Amino acid sequence: MSMVGLPLTLIFALCGAGALLGFMIPERRNPALLAWVGSLAALLALWTAGYALFSDRVFHGDLWTIRAVGTLHVSLDHLSALFVFAAALVVLPSSIFSTSYLRRYLGRYSLKTFNAWYLLLFASIVLILIAHDVLLFLLAWEAMSILSYLLVNFEHERDESSRAGFLMLAMGEMGFVALAIILLFLAVRAGSLQFSALQAASAGLSATARWIVFLVTFFGFGVKAGLVPVNTWMPRAHPAAPANVSAILSGVILNLGLYGIIRMNLYLVPVTMLGAGVVVLIVGTISALVGILYASTENDLKTMLAHSSIENIGIVTVGLGAGLVFTAFHLPVLAAIAFVVAMYHMINHSMYKTLLFLGAGAVDNAAGTRDMNRLGGLIRLMPATALLFLVGALAISAMPPLNGFVSEWLTLQTLLRSAEIPSTPIKIVFALCGAGLALTIALAVTCFVKAFAMSFLGMARSTAAGASREAPRSMLIGMAIPAILCVLLGLTPTWILPLLNRILHKVTNSLAAHALVPPFFAGSPGHKQLPRAFMAGFHNIGAQVGENILPGRGLVVLHRGGTANPVVFAMSTFYMAAVLVGMVLITWLIVRWLTRRRTVRVRAPWDGGVRRLLPEMTYTATGFSNPVRVIFDAIFRPTIAGDTKQTVAEHFRTAIQRQRQEVHIVDRLALQPIKSVALRLARGLAALHHGRINMYIAYGLLSLLLVLALGWLL
Amino acid sequence: MSQWVCRGIKTRIKTTHYPAQAETAPGVSPGLPLGGAYAAAVASLVNLCPTKAISPGLVKDSLIVDYRRCIHCFRCVRGATTPMRWDQGWQWAADGQKCDSVAPGSEGNRLGRVFAHSVHIIVVDAGDCGACLNEVKQLNNPYYNMHRLGFFLTPTPRHADILLVVGPVTEHMRLPLLKTYEAMPTPKRVIAVGACALSGGVFGPSFVSGAGVAQTLPVDVQVPGHPPPPLAILHGLLVAVGRQTPASITSPAPILPEATTR
Repeated sequence: MSMVGLPLTLIFALCGAGALLGFMIPERRNPALLAWVGSLAALLALWTAGYALFSDRVFHGDLWTIRAVGTLHVSLDHLSALFVFAAALVVLPSSIFSTSYLRRYLGRYSLKTFNAWYLLLFASIVLILIAHDVLLFLLAWEAMSILSYLLVNFEHERDESSRAGFLMLAMGEMGFVALAIILLFLAVRAGSLQFSALQAASAGLSATARWIVFLVTFFGFGVKAGLVPVNTWMPRAHPAAPANVSAILSGVILNLGLYGIIRMNLYLVPVTMLGAGVVVLIVGTISALVGILYASTENDLKTMLAHSSIENIGIVTVGLGAGLVFTAFHLPVLAAIAFVVAMYHMINHSMYKTLLFLGAGAVDNAAGTRDMNRLGGLIRLMPATALLFLVGALAISAMPPLNGFVSEWLTLQTLLRSAEIPSTPIKIVFALCGAGLALTIALAVTCFVKAFAMSFLGMARSTAAGASREAPRSMLIGMAIPAILCVLLGLTPTWILPLLNRILHKVTNSLAAHALVPPFFAGSPGHKQLPRAFMAGFHNIGAQVGENILPGRGLVVLHRGGTANPVVFAMSTFYMAAVLVGMVLITWLIVRWLTRRRTVRVRAPWDGGVRRLLPEMTYTATGFSNPVRVIFDAIFRPTIAGDTKQTVAEHFRTAIQRQRQEVHIVDRLALQPIKSVALRLARGLAALHHGRINMYIAYGLLSLLLVLALGWLL
Repeated sequence: MSQWVCRGIKTRIKTTHYPAQAETAPGVSPGLPLGGAYAAAVASLVNLCPTKAISPGLVKDSLIVDYRRCIHCFRCVRGATTPMRWDQGWQWAADGQKCDSVAPGSEGNRLGRVFAHSVHIIVVDAGDCGACLNEVKQLNNPYYNMHRLGFFLTPTPRHADILLVVGPVTEHMRLPLLKTYEAMPTPKRVIAVGACALSGGVFGPSFVSGAGVAQTLPVDVQVPGHPPPPLAILHGLLVAVGRQTPASITSPAPILPEATTR
């Protein structure tokens, strides 16, 4: 017990002490303090969560008792431990990254408060994940919301930061109120604040109540997860925050929304309705599509990453939705696969998004801008940053053998398994969602080709970008940790999938590992689980290669169809990586041998013979993404805000400057109508306020009478 | 659309048979004056030439025509009491004046046999009036159709084997021309087309333009004419790949020591 309890207490003690200590030491020492304390707390969290993941016991602890409310509880079960582990994996590199990154704020903004908010944010995140009663959960959730607002608004002198922070806070509070109402309602019904009591009492809920609970909590948690249509705070708040905070916002806080959805719909009030699963599935697909469409046309590096976060959380949500649908159809193995895959993608997203946000921070720090149209040529000036960013870009574009490929491939495969669902309309929904997801994944490649090419390749498009220097070592270490994890998560899915399966075993009540990872190479006991004829089919394609060479479970990730549709999908990132490396090596050797007698002349790139090639003449980020903008014009709906013509002697037009304005589709279709209705309502109500005191007294009397009448009636 | 097809079939192939057979159609070339013995008319003919292309030869009463300068204005034919003899042909392309590594006239001026049927050409307009460029353009039309001989135009010097220059090389085009030459992979050859590209022509040399391409780049093949007809340019291209023998840039051809020994 103390193996978990003590380190957990230590994390909170460490964060609290670090936050206090920051105010006592000079400002310039604060980044180092933050890095040390943050990394230590993250390492402790990693150790604790790792221990909890591998032990079968669930840690349970009682905190103090509050009179009239009850005892507060914490608990670290497998699900919590998984999320704590993922959060710590994000906080560790961003803390290390902060050492040198925060120096840019020295003297302009208070680093002491940053240090305090940052460490307390981590503590509140851990507290959310281990909270086991409604009150502690809601308190921690609110603390997290406010602390993340304070960090987004850290550069409070910038107008956009303040505005983004307010929007984030407003939308977050809206979600919080929805959550609080439902959770308190459930708690009142159960007669206890404890999650386990809520779970026990949920069995007696009526179908209507279940639907209400599902919809309201899905909305409440969806705000934090950034699902359509409550996602518009993300592309504003994430880029406004400092890069290390953006990484945490994207890599951890979005996961908290998913954690809430899972905790609510799989544990507390298990969803049994088919419709709920379909809603989650469709919302996920739309989020993914909207996210990537806006990401691929965005030119600001960090805003683009925030849009891409919406996309990735959408993909995770698709996995969750598929799992819920499969559960409703009593297909437990498929449901288990879907949940495992969703969790896998969530962890992958945390890793590469941390890497990319930190990379964008390093670029911003070196070049002084995040606008891709002002960057360029950084690969020669900061090669290590470029390489690490490339790893992240490849991973997020789902390029094998990196981690994004594994989870996105598996998500698509999971959707294809809808063939086993007995209902045709649901099959059609799955097919459409699969198609939407495939489009999303394809557009993600465009998006990140542009991000990498425009920022790191070509010519520097501004003098500041041309004068950038390689990022300091602490930044590179901060980026290297998630980069290495991206590669590892990509190469070892056969080890990670059974682990995730074991963790989620309690939720799904089914083992997906044998369906996902066949025990082909695991030695003789495994072989018995598969029919001989099925195995024989695999010998033809060489799946038995390496049976005695490689340790552990098999290296082929596989989807095996049922007897009705014996389709087999198999892939192995490990083999793929080995073959890729081999092929690249062989090609390189052949090319070297063929060109051994060739002399190489190095000449300047062909520029069309112009006197001097100017950066303005090269391909721009706007130009690169223009096809997407044109094809999806119906979604973007740009309006032309200004049209200024530059002329010489009245008639010779030298340039036309056209300004386009785009309102995000969610703002346009969902929020602006609500806003206009609210404003009209307010204008109507304003008529009541005419300033005459007698009338106000009359209003007071009337309302008093109304309350009394109601009290008498009820 | 269908009419085009029918018309095309009815018209049949009209492409010239040059160089496999002689071209017999009238008016394919404006022609050039021929040098040689002109008895007493030498002085008046020299005076008639506006571009000083005609000069008295070493042999008494003979004329030498420098095709680098001739703009075939016909003054030496129509305005003269003793008109000059006129060459109606077009196979005028001659070896270059100056070359990077080898002497003109040797095999070094040609692209190797590997290029015989696949040559990519980049055209650089180094300040020409549009006439030469217009004739170059004709090479791509159905009548001259240089593709049948394995010549292709390319917009990038990275793919080009031959740099075809028209115009006297103005100051503004000198750098782009050099950059284009630099950007081409070896082996590469330069063809100068037109009197302007060979000697500066009617424009140069002046304060804005040079006296031809040879001032900037080593020229491998010279195609005289003002402008040269498409067939002459085609002949120049064939000379550059060694599929036709070059002519002399002057008329009559100078007697070279090696020519006498051969």
